[in-house]
Amino acid sequence: MDDRSGMRTRFALVFAGTLLAAWSFVVSCGGGAPTESPQASRPSPSVELVVSAASDLSPVLAELGPLLKESAGITFAANLGSTGQLMEQIVAGARVDVFLAASSTAVEQLDDKGLLVPGSARLYARGRLVMWTREDAGLKVDTIADLAGPDVKRISIANPDHAPYGEAAREALESAGLWDRLQDKIVPAENVRQAFQFAESGNVDVGLVALSLVATGGGTYTLVSEELYGPIHQTLAIIATSTHQEQAAQFVAFLTGSRGREILLKHGFVLPEED
Amino acid sequence: MGWQAFRISVEVTAVATVLVVVVGTAAGLLLARVRFFGVQLVEALLMLPLVLPPSVVGYYLLRFLGAGGPVEALLKVNVVFTWAAAVFASAVVALPLMVQAAKTAIRGVDPVLENAARTLGSSEAAVFFRVTLPLARRGLIAGTVLSAARALGEFGATLMVAGNRPGHTQTLPLFVYDAVQNQQYGLVNLVVGLLTGFGLICFIVIGRLEPGRTK
Repeated sequence: MDDRSGMRTRFALVFAGTLLAAWSFVVSCGGGAPTESPQASRPSPSVELVVSAASDLSPVLAELGPLLKESAGITFAANLGSTGQLMEQIVAGARVDVFLAASSTAVEQLDDKGLLVPGSARLYARGRLVMWTREDAGLKVDTIADLAGPDVKRISIANPDHAPYGEAAREALESAGLWDRLQDKIVPAENVRQAFQFAESGNVDVGLVALSLVATGGGTYTLVSEELYGPIHQTLAIIATSTHQEQAAQFVAFLTGSRGREILLKHGFVLPEED
Repeated sequence: MGWQAFRISVEVTAVATVLVVVVGTAAGLLLARVRFFGVQLVEALLMLPLVLPPSVVGYYLLRFLGAGGPVEALLKVNVVFTWAAAVFASAVVALPLMVQAAKTAIRGVDPVLENAARTLGSSEAAVFFRVTLPLARRGLIAGTVLSAARALGEFGATLMVAGNRPGHTQTLPLFVYDAVQNQQYGLVNLVVGLLTGFGLICFIVIGRLEPGRTK
């Protein structure tokens, strides 16, 4: 009709055209990927593994990532959480390639359900529990009994119901006869990394956390005597439904190989004997 | 276990609602009756918790209440991971609802009536409590009910700033979160039903308070 409606029509057409172009671009990129040409499937550099890892491994994986990409061309996305939560995700059918648990029981349970690649379960490290405090807190926590002192008002632990380090913390406090007495001080976290974050932010006084989270950082820590809790046998496995089992095996080989062991050692893990 | 969470929820909601009603009504009165520079900014700030992600509200609260924050500096006590922090989180997320309800209700009161009271010698406090407040009561009650419902349902910021401590800060929403993880579906269904029922009742009550409805 008039100039303005013409302009509006033209604008609408341009707008619709732009949308269509954007849509076809997204579709061609996203939709094209799975139907690879057969000869390109061999090295397949675009594979990204999903690694469900106990949160105590976050510093290890951060270090491992670039090295693995450089040496084997494998990239991965770390899905961090408590071992129990990660296990539930796998049971619920989450698409995961490698499971790095902080216990052996979670892996055994998955194995019993037939959710693992047979024979892929493997002990890769033993974790240790520490009592961590901020440098500026000026607290003296040398033995577990010091946690009962009046200066320690709040203590964070991982949730003992589903996090192995939380279970170890509860066990250690129970062995020391302190669990019931310390109930009013305990702040449970979703996972051990969050328990550390609670302490690091200064909102709790002491964190009962994994050595691997604090070994190379600030603050002060004391090892909790290993006589007080059952060994934290960190076990890994490849998930049966993984569509990238070859790369998953490469990932495991790297973690349990010399460079992976070096990293694990640096972050305070005790390593299993060489096979 | 569930009873503890129930008790904590009731206590936290009650205290948070009292705070929200007092602060929210005052803020509503300010926004409805006083013109000042930056009024829109103040209103926007009060409304923010309604649209911010719970994690963002939780983070602000951590910085505000936590180690090195102003509250700790002032009171010499860190309330993070305590009952007080749960009250605070619930109050902050419920406040916008009360402010809006109070503002709208007070705006609906004819200023002529307030002025009539003033010409008859009433003090400002008397005008508010004996004229404005009774005339705005439906909207204020609806706002109170809505705020209480929201305070009871608070989850995200509570989890971050008050933690999930059974017997201390574990409210019903947090209890549901834990119980689902522990696969205690019987308990989960019970609490979920309770919370859903309460929500429904709240909205029915609010519906009955709408103007134009006969009592």
